[in-house]
Amino acid sequence: MLSFPATPILPLASLEVGHHFYWQIGNLKVHGQVFLVSWFVIALLVLASVLATRNIQRIPSGIQNLMEYALDFVRELAKNQLGEKEFRPWVPFIGTLFLFIFVSNWSGALIPWKLIKLPEGELAAPTNDINTTVALALLVSLAYFYAGFRKKGLGYFAKYVQPTPVLLPIAILEDFTKPLSLSFRLFGNILADELVVAVLVLLVPLFVPLPVMLLGLFTSAIQALVFATLAGAYIHEALEGHGEEEHH
Amino acid sequence: MSMLGTFVWLVAEAGAEASEEGGFGINPDILETNLVNLAIVAGLLFYFGRGFLGKILSDRRSSIEAAIREAEERKQQAAAALADEQQKLAQAQQEAARIRASADERAVATKAAILEQAERDIQRLRESVTQDLDTERSRAIAELRQRITTLALQKAEAELPSRLNDDVQRSIVDRSISMLGGAS
Repeated sequence: MLSFPATPILPLASLEVGHHFYWQIGNLKVHGQVFLVSWFVIALLVLASVLATRNIQRIPSGIQNLMEYALDFVRELAKNQLGEKEFRPWVPFIGTLFLFIFVSNWSGALIPWKLIKLPEGELAAPTNDINTTVALALLVSLAYFYAGFRKKGLGYFAKYVQPTPVLLPIAILEDFTKPLSLSFRLFGNILADELVVAVLVLLVPLFVPLPVMLLGLFTSAIQALVFATLAGAYIHEALEGHGEEEHH
Repeated sequence: MSMLGTFVWLVAEAGAEASEEGGFGINPDILETNLVNLAIVAGLLFYFGRGFLGKILSDRRSSIEAAIREAEERKQQAAAALADEQQKLAQAQQEAARIRASADERAVATKAAILEQAERDIQRLRESVTQDLDTERSRAIAELRQRITTLALQKAEAELPSRLNDDVQRSIVDRSISMLGGAS
């Protein structure tokens, strides 16, 4: 994996961003702190799912009710993006994206990770590492290519020249800008939020960072929503083509 | 995010920092770890989120309850209606069986009546035919008899001149007279 390049212009920020808790796996240097928090998030989600489904009641209560509400939420989200006909097989993917990103963001904003000291780098939301967001965005790219090929076979490529072949370069470019914008939007928002909070905490340790932290909570939730929504929108676009298919 | 602080303090506490960089540990600095603010944020989130989320969840729960209750009510109604209709069906089947039985009965009766009637008709026809036959036969016999008589008379009349002479005439007359006499 790539390490985020330390910016030489801002030495303070480079100290922040550029330091990672490296693990060496084969030829790869991976960011251990991201893995640790990711595992924590995954464990949290799995635990919540297990607890919610362990003793299923007809009339939901407690955590079952909460998780059913979450499921309803992601299902609505997928349905709004993909339409009544196509959304069902994509609920797990979009729902997983949303829940993982949401819980990651909020764990970064709510849990005092800095209590735990690593040999190098520090624990934070997994989504403030570009590698995580790029991985998620590439998964979205794979998903929408898969959706398009599965629905139309090689006819999927027809959409690149569909309104007019003049737009072919732009259509091809879109396949690169989509994961790029997805990953950088999420990464940038989360990292910027954490940096702003960190800087404010350095300047005024008490109370002043509170509004920014609350705003950060809001932004984090919105970013998770945006990521999942855009994933749904891209998959829908791949499924539908440029409008010709809708008349069938 | 303690790096600016670290940066500032590095000058003074370089030795201590260097030794701490080595491994895992717990950072005891409450201000540096932003613990107070995080606690406040978590508290606020808990306080408001609890009410908000709690309301959403209880609404959801009650709407599910209502939906289930309604569905169960409808199910009961449907079961009642089903039982009702089944009863009606049974009644109708009974009625149909009754109608069929009575129809069978009536069919048998009608058949018997028709057969009897036919029998009677046949009898009557046969009788009338027999009567006709008798009449016809007696008529034919009478006709034949008359014809034979006529023919016999003709023949007798034809033969009479050749056979009849005085002697014969006399003997006949005599015989007749004697017969008359014999009879008296």
